[in-house]
Amino acid sequence: MNAKILVVDDSSLARRTLRQILESVGHTVEEATNGAEGLEKYFLNRPDIVFLDMVMEHMQGLEVLRKLREMDPHARVIVATADIQSGTRMNAENLGAYEVINKPFTRDRVLSALENVLAGRS
Amino acid sequence: MQLTENQTDALTELINIGYARAASALSELTGHQIMLEVPQVAVHPISEVGDILSSHIRGEVASVHQVFSGPVAGNALLLLDHKAAQLLNRLLTNGHGNSPLDASAREVLTEVGNIVLNACLGVFGNILQVQVTFAVPRLHIESVSSVLNSITVAHEELHYALMIQTSFHLRESDVSGYLVIVLGVTSLDRLLEELERWEERQVAE
Repeated sequence: MNAKILVVDDSSLARRTLRQILESVGHTVEEATNGAEGLEKYFLNRPDIVFLDMVMEHMQGLEVLRKLREMDPHARVIVATADIQSGTRMNAENLGAYEVINKPFTRDRVLSALENVLAGRS
Repeated sequence: MQLTENQTDALTELINIGYARAASALSELTGHQIMLEVPQVAVHPISEVGDILSSHIRGEVASVHQVFSGPVAGNALLLLDHKAAQLLNRLLTNGHGNSPLDASAREVLTEVGNIVLNACLGVFGNILQVQVTFAVPRLHIESVSSVLNSITVAHEELHYALMIQTSFHLRESDVSGYLVIVLGVTSLDRLLEELERWEERQVAE
């Protein structure tokens, strides 16, 4: 399946890395540089999956996640963060994140998280 | 204010684990092996911190500044001299290392700092079972003294700071950088309590 994916991250390095990995296997990627833009693009385009950073200006990732799930209770979100604390993982999962992956990204980890979500294994 | 031998031992061990994770993250990012120096841990009056840092890094530095809050609050800094900043940028973007640090390079360095500092602080949070919250990291290119002027630890008045300092080297190159964590006294007390609990848990497990 070629999925429509929204990457929400304030780092261009992170967005670029995810785009390269995801497009290399045929997915379509759209980018948002902050939470508000991410919510707007989700509302307009209804992507299949969202990759969401946690620490961003103005609206933190957890808040974006909460609002996404309010907008669409079935929103499939993979949290992609440098924060490796187990408490952060738990908070994200409690708010409905399907997967949590840590930076720096590896191709295998990104694609396996994506496959898990697309296959309904998460 | 001085740390006991046991406190210094426990803290050094915690830092070794955290810095190893940070080095691993940096190695994954750059594709180079990272060599870490043994960290130096000490409590200093805040007024002395600038002189200590200046003895290691001179001139302008690129510093990624990560403020964290929670039961233990403080500032974590990744300090890179200009040469190190250029090399990191070049390794991550296939760009030219001698060019000035433009907006794109600054963004890359900020993200590198974010990943490295989170890796380190996240280990502390996990091991000590305290949850810390991170602010958006900031990159500054300025003198060491200006870096220090920008340090605030929540709203605590800083008299003393726990300074954890280590340098790292990218193998096959002669550049190095420094990781520095500054905590105020209140957070330091809490950190020392959590370190004792950590030791007790290790013995009990």
